[in-house]
Amino acid sequence: MNLIGEINCFGLCLKLSENAPIVGLLIVSSVALLVAGIMIKMPKHRLSMFVSAQITVFLAIISTFYLMKCEGMLTIYLYFGYALVSSAIIFGALRFYDRVMIKRLNAKPIKNVLSWIQEFTGGLANATVYYYDSAVPRAFAAGRSVFVSMGLLEILTDDELKAVLAHEAWHIRNNSRTPFLKQLAVMTFSSHKKDELEELADIFAVEIAGSEALSSARCKVDKVFI
Amino acid sequence: MVKLDQINISNDGLTKFFSPIEAAILRSLWNEGEMMTSELTEKTKIPLTSIAGTLDRLVKAGYAARRVDTVNGRMRYVYAPVYSEDEVASEITTKIMDSLVDTFGRVAIENFSKYSDKK
Ligand SMILES: [Zn+2]
Repeated sequence: MNLIGEINCFGLCLKLSENAPIVGLLIVSSVALLVAGIMIKMPKHRLSMFVSAQITVFLAIISTFYLMKCEGMLTIYLYFGYALVSSAIIFGALRFYDRVMIKRLNAKPIKNVLSWIQEFTGGLANATVYYYDSAVPRAFAAGRSVFVSMGLLEILTDDELKAVLAHEAWHIRNNSRTPFLKQLAVMTFSSHKKDELEELADIFAVEIAGSEALSSARCKVDKVFI
Repeated sequence: MVKLDQINISNDGLTKFFSPIEAAILRSLWNEGEMMTSELTEKTKIPLTSIAGTLDRLVKAGYAARRVDTVNGRMRYVYAPVYSEDEVASEITTKIMDSLVDTFGRVAIENFSKYSDKK
């Protein structure tokens, strides 16, 4: 069976099936959730609306497959193969990405040189802070590690640094949840809402270090911490 | 960064062989010796966001060296030139002369001897 033939077959099956309204309902509600999500201001609720929309899309895909009651369809095999490979990458490889970065950047634990940075970050999340040799100011989180460049340590004041560390700590705290979000995005062919996550991380940073510290850090290093 | 294919004869001074930012950094390091990042941005009047990547490249290419200084619970880089201005001038001159002799042979050497006669 070829792919084009299968896609026509999906349309035909949906038309004939008595369960087709269920798929229709799922698609309509996912669009409604998406629209509601766009209108909501609070990043947290906007994110949950978006995730609900993704879940209904996913359910629509699964129930369409279920309606297809025939065996050995290429599209279904392709979709599950795609699911398997992407989850292996997202849940397997990305969790150990910090090991790769430590090697690649030749990063060193910061507790040996500026112990307060490790203590501060360790108090917010179960994370180890590493610093690496580069004048370009940068900070990012991967796995259970926060990476800061020497350039970042040079130009930020302690308060600004705390804001950046809190932002990264939020990512680590939520790293157990974000892979599910990523997986969901991959399964529904939608882009995962990075902006919402960044906003939530910033809100946490403001709670911990104050809005002044965060905005002056952002000002100094304009978009170099993610 | 001192690669013969990047030499730009129509530029001024060091920017014949280095990018303008590289040239400004090297010039300051040769004048001042050891310098902190903040002093470099001040002296060269180049903002940190533009200078940082170039500093990384100069260190990697071996023209500048840096060590980490920890003072009052703050860490910072201290930069120093690896070669003196004369050493870099000698390196560039040798490279260019080699390529001239390589391409033009006897004629190039005859022209060099005119220079030593004038001297
Ligand atoms: Zn972030």
